[in-house]
Amino acid sequence: MNHKKELRIAYWLMIILFVVGVITYAACSKKSYENPLRIMYKTSAGNVLFDHKTHASEIGYGVVCSDCHHHPEDDDSGLTACNSCHTKDDKNTNLPESCLDCHDAGDIEGTEMKNSIDVFHDQCIACHKESGRGPVDCSQCHVM
Amino acid sequence: MIKQKKLIVSHAPFIHNGSKISIKNYNIMLAALPALLAGFYYYGIRAVGVVGLSISFSIFWELAFSVITKSEKRIGDGSSAVIGIIFAMMLPATAPWWLILVGTFVAVIIGREIFGGIGGNPFNPSILGIAIIMLSWKEYFDFNQALINFDMDFNMFYPLAALKSFGASSISSFSIFDLMLGKQAGAIGAVFGIGIIIGGLYLIAKGIIRWEICFSFIAGILLTAMTFAMFAPASYTGPFFHLFTGYTLLGVFFLAPEDSSSPVNRMPMIIYGLGCGILTILIRNIGVYADGIIYAILIMNLINPLIDKIKPKAFGKV
Repeated sequence: MNHKKELRIAYWLMIILFVVGVITYAACSKKSYENPLRIMYKTSAGNVLFDHKTHASEIGYGVVCSDCHHHPEDDDSGLTACNSCHTKDDKNTNLPESCLDCHDAGDIEGTEMKNSIDVFHDQCIACHKESGRGPVDCSQCHVM
Repeated sequence: MIKQKKLIVSHAPFIHNGSKISIKNYNIMLAALPALLAGFYYYGIRAVGVVGLSISFSIFWELAFSVITKSEKRIGDGSSAVIGIIFAMMLPATAPWWLILVGTFVAVIIGREIFGGIGGNPFNPSILGIAIIMLSWKEYFDFNQALINFDMDFNMFYPLAALKSFGASSISSFSIFDLMLGKQAGAIGAVFGIGIIIGGLYLIAKGIIRWEICFSFIAGILLTAMTFAMFAPASYTGPFFHLFTGYTLLGVFFLAPEDSSSPVNRMPMIIYGLGCGILTILIRNIGVYADGIIYAILIMNLINPLIDKIKPKAFGKV
């Protein structure tokens, strides 16, 4: 193969692969999943990767949705993400704005909302202890 | 009188034996295919896009450089395409396009062109590109986060992160055979160990890479990891887990033996390979990074010219 032919191949390779790249990136734009597979909780003590699918599926741990998504009660169609109510900030005593999507401000005035750090620790560790399975120590969940 | 055989050298023109830089690079691309195809199989169309853009951008940067500097266009020799392929093999399938654009710029322009082009680079260009973007945007190399939406039938926790954070006891769920088959979270072209080995052996058989570097690299990993595991088995895992996780095999067969940044003499090659292996395990076991391959090879690239002086081949010896 001579130099000119090799050069021509390189030009075509550059153009074709660019088009392929653009098309695949456009076709696979970021999606938000209603039922996530895994969730990464980002914390200063090391991120925690939570395997949502394994916890929720029948062939996994078979945890019922309402065991964690406790609000609103008895309404599986309206499952809300934990951090939409339980925020990270433990100094902010105000209720998150998402509460007002369903409640009037007057109805929920004075309601205390646990921050996400306490909620996750309580929920995860309590369940793992109760079932006798799963990590309970810091270094068994937090990826440093 | 003893009849001596004498070597007779005629005047030019000589017959060309057909070996060319482009042939060498096409062979490297071919050798990378098994690992890449496995990456496409596991991570789908996103992986195809990453590899496509990486090759395209790499060729573009070299072309742009040759146009700006008014030098001869050499994109046809395939060396930039090889940089693009190897660079993409180290990326997660969810790498954003701009990360590839910046990374390939660093690899091709800063890693190679400013040193005079092909053969002049002191570091492996692909590694330099990855190292810079890894330090700048490390969140994209958190494979647990990057591959969070990929639904696979195997454990998708990045094995080296599990080992680093939770210790040797946490990796019992990973079987070595599964790791070899690519059933692990990782970069597009780094997960399928068997494919990388096949590609690497092909390159050794073709004489494109030197077995001394590859085998001494593996020996360095095995010996160091074994030593750690022997003295503290509760904290450190055995050598085969290290061999089939992270960028290890990619480093052994595609990164460390790069022509320009590795030694040319036999004993220096062995020292270079051993150094890469030892440093990799030291970084993994007592360093802060989960995978030490990139920095281990960069350090050995840096001291490569010195190692090459340890036992130089006698010049002119036939």
